[in-house]
Amino acid sequence: MNRKEILSSVHEVFVDTLDNDEVRINESTKATDVDEWDSLTHIMLVVAIEKKFNIRFNSSEIQSWNNVGEMIDCIQEKGI
Amino acid sequence: MIFKIGDKFSEKFHINDKIYQGFINIFNDNNPLHTNYQFANDKGFKGIVMHGNILNGFISYFIGEKLPTKDVIIHSQEIKYKNAVYLNDELLFNAEVIGVYDSVKAVEFKYHFINHEAKVVSKGKFQIGLLK
Repeated sequence: MNRKEILSSVHEVFVDTLDNDEVRINESTKATDVDEWDSLTHIMLVVAIEKKFNIRFNSSEIQSWNNVGEMIDCIQEKGI
Repeated sequence: MIFKIGDKFSEKFHINDKIYQGFINIFNDNNPLHTNYQFANDKGFKGIVMHGNILNGFISYFIGEKLPTKDVIIHSQEIKYKNAVYLNDELLFNAEVIGVYDSVKAVEFKYHFINHEAKVVSKGKFQIGLLK
């Protein structure tokens, strides 16, 4: 998948997890940019993304992310 | 991680009058389906139907008290009701780990409740977090 396709899939995860069709994300989106993106939602997003792409992150990878783009970097590093 | 995919757990529950009356006393759901035998019978049930959310209480007990660690919190829970549950039913609860997410210390289970007639009365999933 290219980055655009991964972003599209990640967006689907956000819509589903946040139960919000209106949510918009791009590579520079941070947790502070999305009202519902709190600590619990973050866990649910990570689990949903791991399921979506059938990958597993480790805690240090997750803690290194500053925005959606860095999340996508990590997804691509898993061979997606 | 103390859980792995495929781990299975079971617990027996009995819906007794104390639980039934306690639920009504706390939440005031006196809908006739739950309190009026004739009403419930007219709707096709063989007795007053227990509140479905009593089963959620059993799940809470299982997660909070019966898992191999007390360091748990519920992230999410879904429940589907398949058959009515009646006063004094004995239920067997079976849960199985279907997802382990080390990165965020989360564990996903599927579960079902079976009654004494071997009918699935409820099923669903829940996700817990392991507290640090």
